[in-house]
Amino acid sequence: MTSLSYAEIGITTNFSFLRGGSHPQDYVHQASLLHLPAIGIADHNTLAGVVRAYNELENTAIKFKPRLLIGSRLVFTDNTPDILVFPRDRAAYGRLCRLLTRGKLGKDTLKGECHLKFDDLLEFAEGQLLALALPHRFEETEALGILDRLRSSRANGVWLAASLLYRGDDRRRLARLHRMADCACLPLLATNEVLYHHPSRRPLQDVLTCIREKTTIDAIGKRLEGNAERHLKPADEMARLFRDVPEAIAETTRFADRIVFSLDQLKYQYPDEPVPPGKTAQRHLEDLTWQGAHRRFPARIPPKTKKVLHKELRLIRKLKYAHYFLTVHDIVRYAREQKILCQGRGSAANSAVCYVLDVTSVDPTKIDLLFERFISKERLEPPDIDVDFEHSRREEVMQYVYRRYGRHRAAIIATVIHYRPRSAIRDVGKALGLTEDVTSALADTVWGSWGKGLDENQVKQAGLDPQNPMVELAVELAAELIEFPRHLSQHVGGYVLTQDRLDTYVPIGNAAMDDRTFIEWDKDDVDALSMMKVDVLALGMLTCIRKCFDLIERHKGERWELATVPQDQKPVYDMLSRGESLGVFQVESRAQMNMLPRLRPREFYDLVIEVAIVRPGPIQGDMVHPYLRRRNGQEKEVYPSPSPAHGDKDELRKVLHKTLGVPLFQEQAMRIAIEAAKFTPEEANGLRRAMATFRNVGTIGKFESKMVNNMIARGYDPQFAKNCFDQIKGFGSYGFPESHAASFAQLVYVSSWLKHYHPDAFCCGLLNSQPMGFYAPAQIVGDARKNGVEVREIDVSFSYAQNTLEEESGKYCAVRLGFRQIDGFRWTDPDEARLKRIQESFRGVRSMNSDVQLHIRESRDSPMCSAHLRSGADAPSRNDAVEEIDDWAERIVSARARRPFTSLEDFARDTALPKRALILLADADAFRSIGLDRRTALWAVRRLPDDVPLPLFETADAREQPDEQAQPLPLMPLAEHVVADYQTIRLSLKGHPMQFLRSKFERERVIPCASVSDTRDRQYVRCAGVVLVRQRPGSAKGVVFMTLEDETGIANIVVWPKVMERFRKEVMGARLVLVEGYIQSSPEKVVHLVAERLFDRSRDLMGLANDAFSRKQAVPAGPALIEPLNDDPRDHLENPAQKIRHPRDVRILPPSRDFH
Amino acid sequence: MSAFSQNRRRILSLWLPRLPIDRIKRRLSSDARAEHISCGINGRLSPPSLTHKGGRNELYDASTDTPSIVVAKQNNALQVFALDEKAAHSGLVIGMPLANARAICPHVQAYDADEAADDHAINAIAEWCDRFTPLVALDSPHGLFLDITGCAHLFGGEAAMMQLLCGALAAQGFAVSAAIAGTAVCARTLTRHVHGSIVREGEEADAVRTLPVSALGADAAVVTGLRRAGLKTIGDVADRTRHEITARFGAPFTTLLEQALGQSDAPISPRKPLPDYIVEKRFAEPVSTEGVISATLSGLGRMLVTAMSQQGRGARRLEARFFRTDGVVRTISVDTGQAVTRGEMVDRLFRERLEALSDPLDPGFGFDLIRLCASRTEIVVQQQRDLDANVHDNDELTALIDRIAARIGGKRVVVHLPQDTHIPERAVWAAPAQYHLAAAACAVWPARAVDEPPSRPLRLFERPEQIKVIAQVPDGPPARFVWRRATHAVIHAEGPERIAMEWWRAKGTMLTRDYFRVEDETGLRFWLYRDGLYDREIAQAEGRAVQPNWFMHGLFA
Repeated sequence: MTSLSYAEIGITTNFSFLRGGSHPQDYVHQASLLHLPAIGIADHNTLAGVVRAYNELENTAIKFKPRLLIGSRLVFTDNTPDILVFPRDRAAYGRLCRLLTRGKLGKDTLKGECHLKFDDLLEFAEGQLLALALPHRFEETEALGILDRLRSSRANGVWLAASLLYRGDDRRRLARLHRMADCACLPLLATNEVLYHHPSRRPLQDVLTCIREKTTIDAIGKRLEGNAERHLKPADEMARLFRDVPEAIAETTRFADRIVFSLDQLKYQYPDEPVPPGKTAQRHLEDLTWQGAHRRFPARIPPKTKKVLHKELRLIRKLKYAHYFLTVHDIVRYAREQKILCQGRGSAANSAVCYVLDVTSVDPTKIDLLFERFISKERLEPPDIDVDFEHSRREEVMQYVYRRYGRHRAAIIATVIHYRPRSAIRDVGKALGLTEDVTSALADTVWGSWGKGLDENQVKQAGLDPQNPMVELAVELAAELIEFPRHLSQHVGGYVLTQDRLDTYVPIGNAAMDDRTFIEWDKDDVDALSMMKVDVLALGMLTCIRKCFDLIERHKGERWELATVPQDQKPVYDMLSRGESLGVFQVESRAQMNMLPRLRPREFYDLVIEVAIVRPGPIQGDMVHPYLRRRNGQEKEVYPSPSPAHGDKDELRKVLHKTLGVPLFQEQAMRIAIEAAKFTPEEANGLRRAMATFRNVGTIGKFESKMVNNMIARGYDPQFAKNCFDQIKGFGSYGFPESHAASFAQLVYVSSWLKHYHPDAFCCGLLNSQPMGFYAPAQIVGDARKNGVEVREIDVSFSYAQNTLEEESGKYCAVRLGFRQIDGFRWTDPDEARLKRIQESFRGVRSMNSDVQLHIRESRDSPMCSAHLRSGADAPSRNDAVEEIDDWAERIVSARARRPFTSLEDFARDTALPKRALILLADADAFRSIGLDRRTALWAVRRLPDDVPLPLFETADAREQPDEQAQPLPLMPLAEHVVADYQTIRLSLKGHPMQFLRSKFERERVIPCASVSDTRDRQYVRCAGVVLVRQRPGSAKGVVFMTLEDETGIANIVVWPKVMERFRKEVMGARLVLVEGYIQSSPEKVVHLVAERLFDRSRDLMGLANDAFSRKQAVPAGPALIEPLNDDPRDHLENPAQKIRHPRDVRILPPSRDFH
Repeated sequence: MSAFSQNRRRILSLWLPRLPIDRIKRRLSSDARAEHISCGINGRLSPPSLTHKGGRNELYDASTDTPSIVVAKQNNALQVFALDEKAAHSGLVIGMPLANARAICPHVQAYDADEAADDHAINAIAEWCDRFTPLVALDSPHGLFLDITGCAHLFGGEAAMMQLLCGALAAQGFAVSAAIAGTAVCARTLTRHVHGSIVREGEEADAVRTLPVSALGADAAVVTGLRRAGLKTIGDVADRTRHEITARFGAPFTTLLEQALGQSDAPISPRKPLPDYIVEKRFAEPVSTEGVISATLSGLGRMLVTAMSQQGRGARRLEARFFRTDGVVRTISVDTGQAVTRGEMVDRLFRERLEALSDPLDPGFGFDLIRLCASRTEIVVQQQRDLDANVHDNDELTALIDRIAARIGGKRVVVHLPQDTHIPERAVWAAPAQYHLAAAACAVWPARAVDEPPSRPLRLFERPEQIKVIAQVPDGPPARFVWRRATHAVIHAEGPERIAMEWWRAKGTMLTRDYFRVEDETGLRFWLYRDGLYDREIAQAEGRAVQPNWFMHGLFA
């Protein structure tokens, strides 16, 4: 008797990292093809992949839907053979999650590990279906003992798994298992212990094994599987294999039938913390909303806003989202109390409710975003609110979330790190035994992370032969490996919060950071299961803005907030329209700076567009130029419409009127799909998902034909339809929705406002928030000086660790550079210090009511737990001690408070700084106030003894002083000072290196950078400057943009691919470059210099610092010898050997920033 | 400072600024001729490794037109470690990240740095320099000091000597910079900036005055410090008082400075002569007859063995060097599996080796020096011979292997070693016995499972033999088969054991094999397999179902 029904329950997906050779989705498709009634995902100690499989069942392409069994393959650390566990019901599922959590949360368990013992399983066995999967060779009595213990546990059932893997002795082994099963009175359960969905995946699985074992394919030997049999097999094939024991096949469906659990039973409950007892959540939200409204509008709530609020509250009530808004509000409220700046974004964040709740500072009436449009009723997913907090203080907020909800109910979600082209080729290459230079050559051909795979051209570009079998294999396998999950990492700030214990929903594991835990699912998984997620994100610009606000308050006595900054100031928009946006949030890049004069923003909504328009989406969809033409009135606003037979002529006008008929935002693209291509909400949802996770191979193409065809069928212009879809594809790589753009635009406005009205504070705040943004300190300082701000040198008598403002000088306060600008100087960040204090106090709290801790680490032996807490209590004192020694800046400031510095010796004694610090200070020319310039100070500092001087030797040193003054050092020329400034603090207030070369360049008829923008169109000019930035945007087809700087300003260079080919060395390598070419000037005065010829003049730059090199010297006449390196003498200073220099000697200016 | 020995030394400093890349390029272009280049430098270069590194040549277009660089991992990123002339022309510099180098010059060829091999190379060059002076010291990295005090006249004076030396190295493809001065530091300082200077006695200070301070090779921090002080040339520094300099940059720097200026000196420390034992015979009249040569060799052999036995050592590697009057050196080396302690053994080994030479010793105009050295020795434990002679079987075995190997070639005498692979015919490797005898003795062969029949046959055929088989489709065992024209009926069978081929190897069939262990009616047991799987491979490969091939691969006991 052969039953032709078979369920495979031993599936390993690629979420068993570096073991499984197929995606969970692949199995669903394959099972559907093979008509398997059920498949059981059993990954090694994890449930990370199950949601992917579960979600794939919704794919309409799947005709025959197999039932999905959720389980795990337990791999033990105590030599117990593997056991497949499948929970029968929801309660048992919770127990499995807790079991895995216990394995992952152990004290010494590292990220990604899971330490389980057989006894752990017994504890959580209730309601589970257990199948013992013995290794190929096993000890019979031992196995029987395990089966016995399993049988006496509270498990719902126990099976003995049998597999036939073509190892030669299969039938003998099966007979043995059969005997044992009979002996233990247990049924045999057939499985193929599947590693991949199709036999063609064997090579990839072998490569994964090599990567896992950290060896090469040549050396790995028998650790590989001997054949390709571990794929998903059809029922008749399994029945044929198990012809000796057909009941083992029949048992699989009985096994599957016993399981009643499915992932849709995970009923999510909102946490009720933010709701005061005795009040419903909706009631509370409404109260808070109206309170907030009265605060925002003290005089009277505008009727329009009132109407919107009522409408939104009704919708929130209907969709039961009150909890969600309250939770976000609760976090934001904490941040405000702590004076941490924050700004919400996302579809729901720009609602009037969020505005009055202080979640966002964007006035919703200004942007006219329809809230309900984006919380669609069809999508029963929670609304999306991401909150950006100050980058340097976000951690405080995260700590608050943990405190408020407890670690057993709040955890960070995971981010699945996938193989990207670069990492894939690197790992595959290593596994195939290719040397590192070959793989890195292959990897380096992938510019940026745009491409989906490596193509033949890229291989050729790396100088390798694509026909070479090994390279070909590597490329082929790497292409297959791309998008495989590599490991789980914690998400930057996505939290999931639950009402009851989170570890009954999903396993929680340790993160790489101390005291951090995260769940196994990522944001897509959490979305798919409708769990609530709050994003606590970090934004550097908020830190900068807060620092600016603080500085303004301290020095000018005005207190501003994000929401109180005066709106619609004309001078601010004027400044932006001139393209002066250096340092401004989001619109400071070269491309944005070019766009600003074209777009000429006049009102807030223009900024929203500005933020969204210079993005891959609109650029790839070719939407930018049509928009600009329409905006400038060069083109009529037309709205594509369907043929009259197909409905409303104006269906797209409603969607697109705000952007003059050109789709620029993600939401618009989605609306077009619904309105114009008549996608059902379900399909639109699928499209959205395919867009977000571009990787669902093949799915996006399906949507493409459907959308384009539907639109054409309804009478749309095919080109328009195609552009719309291209834009959607662009969004897939970098989505930018209007709701996010609006929140960003607010920050654009605030930072521009600061830049215009408080350039002193803005410069200071920006410098204190580095590294951040696009520009180096030199440009930030240069820009501030141009705007009339006085910037003062670092000086031991006046500077602090941070850059500070000093008394007014002219219109603005003067900026005093701080010690933090010195490379290698030690100082502490006040934000970090504050966080440390908070963490310590938090530790104290936790040790007092440690039930939070014990909930998760329960039943671990108590001594360990208390030891952990003890060590936590010890930590602060030690840390503080270390900190104090480290802060050099603090020592200077406190020594200065005792008495002013009068001499270098006093300074060294009073501060007791190590010699290294003194040298750094002297090299940064920070001793001018005590009468020493850089050279003198350095000469004096170097002779100080290495350590803190003992009193005895002090006098001895002093006596030596006079005789040294006999021979003064040569005076340091200004050019050398400037170069030294750049080398130590990356900027110079004394001048620009180019100014010393000016006379030389003038003789060569080279014009300054600033005059480039005043030059007529098509004129031929020569211009030289230091290279600041090189860019080769993916969307610009090989065009390279360079930004040059000299003492007068900057010039923008365009290098076409043809010129690039010839002058590649100069374009990519030169620090100082001379460019010859034509001026290209647009009507908006956006001026480029189109390069025709380039010359590397870095040598001139070098000459500034090392004049010895340029000095002619007499070479002693030796015998006539062969010229050893046979180099062109012009390429050398004196000798070919000169080419070999320490990189540090070469560095005069900080390297340019290259964006590929 | 002035109290300085009148007995001045002359030091030649040699710097090979592009050694890493030159070495690699030499290896790539090495052909049969290069194996026996005149100076024998190549003899010590590490052979290409056995792994895929050898395959690199095929991956790259090995032409010399493309700029080449050597990269090494520094600070977790690949950085340019050395570059050739073309690469320098393309604007690449040392210390540049590989990614930048590729951005500037996309077709640049990058090789992995191998500092051990570079060390080997510089050592080989040092060894070769032995011919000029016995006092050769390493000046890491990539430099040498030769104490040529009183030897230069043998080579026609200092200039001629330097020319000869540099010319030979340049002909080998090494970029080289050299200088001669009274102190090592001075000479080295000069090589960093000017090639070929010869500084007369007492003129050191003038020679280096104009050079930048970086040429001294001091710590980067010191160089920066001096530059910042405006002291940019060595002369600038020399003009300050020593006291001033020492107080700031430490006594070691002052010493270095004084040595560069020729105001003090420190002896170079010659590298230890590489061979542990050397014996040599110089001839007033060059010799060229075979008889004299072999007589000389056996005489030297006895001397060598005597010298070694006094310290209880025996030779594992012997080298005979024949210095021709025209400067060509021929080196012949013999490896032994067991330490050689007897003179006649040395004699016999060289005789057999010389006889078997495919490229006989060419005396040219005669040898003026024959040198024999033991370059690898080990302590020989003087064992009490046991009454039972069998204990020393291995000794005799190694002696036998050495002798056979010296005659027929080391690669032809083999032992078998287990290999980690599923493929039956690759599970054993026949390795040269001289090198792997010890490994073979302690090799671990896969253990047979207890209570299980053997899974591999006792005898495995070198080439599987095709047989005719009647078997059940798709993967049933054979019922009957014909092998070597005899028909066998299968009584018992077990299997299949499915073994898939190693897909990463380009050569050979890729069909999966199903192995069966079968027993025929007479009790004979065979190991045979079907080539190819029915559904997946056979039908696919041919487009329609064809009969698979069966093979006999081995016999069980």
